[in-house]
Amino acid sequence: MTEVIVWSGWVGGLAVGLYMLLQWLVSGHPLGVSTGYGNLCSFVSDARFFHEGDYSQPNNWRLWFLIGLPLGGLLAALTSPNAIVASFSLGAMYDAVLPQALWAKGLVLVFGGVMIGYGSRMAGGCTSGHSIAGSAMLNPPSLLASAGFFVGGIIIVQLLFNLLA
Amino acid sequence: MKKYSFLLLGVAFGFILSRAGATTYDYYAKLFLFEDFQLLWVIATAAAVGVAGVALFKKIKLRSWFEGQVVQFKGKPYKPSLVPGSLLFGMGWGLAGACPGTALVMLGEGKLGVLFTITGIALGTYLYGLMQSRALTVKPPTVVAQSS
Repeated sequence: MTEVIVWSGWVGGLAVGLYMLLQWLVSGHPLGVSTGYGNLCSFVSDARFFHEGDYSQPNNWRLWFLIGLPLGGLLAALTSPNAIVASFSLGAMYDAVLPQALWAKGLVLVFGGVMIGYGSRMAGGCTSGHSIAGSAMLNPPSLLASAGFFVGGIIIVQLLFNLLA
Repeated sequence: MKKYSFLLLGVAFGFILSRAGATTYDYYAKLFLFEDFQLLWVIATAAAVGVAGVALFKKIKLRSWFEGQVVQFKGKPYKPSLVPGSLLFGMGWGLAGACPGTALVMLGEGKLGVLFTITGIALGTYLYGLMQSRALTVKPPTVVAQSS
């Protein structure tokens, strides 16, 4: 698995916060990622939901932002001292509790992804839209959603690591 | 043209998420086991910087470069599905060790497990859209038409 440089938490947070402010300054759009997954659905689905409101024009900034993210990861990996290692490993901790067989591990991750995708639409946003941009605006629903994200994470990880590890 | 500049913004945000540790699976497990608060520090510091920045932007009535209009800092609304949705999201977050943004960044780092996670996120979003579209078809949004 690729090892990347990691800054101190507060330095990383400072960078994330300044990035968010820069995006507001440049474009007027608050930071947000999960809505963009619906843009991808707009290209393959005729369902009404993906052609109204946020998705009336799916080839928008969100789509291009999503395309940029993996390139940012590639840049981060290329500028880290260790070589990029393409791998299905999730690191020591998750590999110890998730199934060994790739198909079974993949099934768990697809299931986790479905919860992330469905849950973020139910909540109206994800960690970036609610926990970072929403918290910056001290928006009460976003603070509530952020609390829910953490509670959900604590529940599943405590169960996973205390029952299986 | 403006939307294409988001390709660069995405690269910048992806790079920062990686350096912040948000693309390292172990930090998610350690966060929810209360062993290492790296990601909590990242979110808390980002939010604090954001609160100060938004306060400043509101005070100076910031106009964005692209739109030229005063930026409205309008928060996402509450809806009844917000709490159950946030819990469901949290469980997926902890199970997969990634969120919608970081999963895409991890793909660029060669962490191939996120191919499954990303597929799942898109699928979950699609399922939600299908359910909503069915609800829309059954109950046409007549209320919207009535508003003055």
